[in-house]
Amino acid sequence: MAETVFLVAVGLAAGALLLAGIRFARGPWAVDRTVALDAMTIIATSLIVAFALLAGRRIYLDVALVYGLVGFVGVVAVARYLEGGL
Amino acid sequence: MMLEIAIIVAGVLMVGIAIATILTRSLLVSVIMSGGVSLLASLVFLLMGAPDVAMTEAVIGSGLTTVVFLYALSRAKQPDDEDAAALASPPGDDTDGGQP
Repeated sequence: MAETVFLVAVGLAAGALLLAGIRFARGPWAVDRTVALDAMTIIATSLIVAFALLAGRRIYLDVALVYGLVGFVGVVAVARYLEGGL
Repeated sequence: MMLEIAIIVAGVLMVGIAIATILTRSLLVSVIMSGGVSLLASLVFLLMGAPDVAMTEAVIGSGLTTVVFLYALSRAKQPDDEDAAALASPPGDDTDGGQP
């Protein structure tokens, strides 16, 4: 039962990743792409957590942790550049 | 089944964004999209069962490379390149059809 829920969560996160990726590839301005990159980071983190629960391996949660931290740093760097400060 | 769908979605998206990265003309957009490519690459690495490779790819590709490229881009900025015109007009006024 729980495995089915995790499988559905992985599928839904894959669909959300596809939609955010389409906006990331098409978005006319760099600001749109930055926001889409942030959304893709969060969606990928949730997908990794669902996959870790599905696979039952604890090290995947560490990858999700690193993912959240590093994606934040990248998006902040891009936003700082767009502001003109970096 | 769902795992295969997730791997296929991430892989196809990674290849599409990589092609769009080399086709775009703005350097800033290329840097942002290369960060997205490495983010999706680390997701594919993880879904194929290599968590240490995925962690290294996420740190190096998505974090360090983007910051270093943006720093170099802001240091080597010329006043007449494509990004200057793209950054000069705010995203609100869409005069040239949305293309920077």
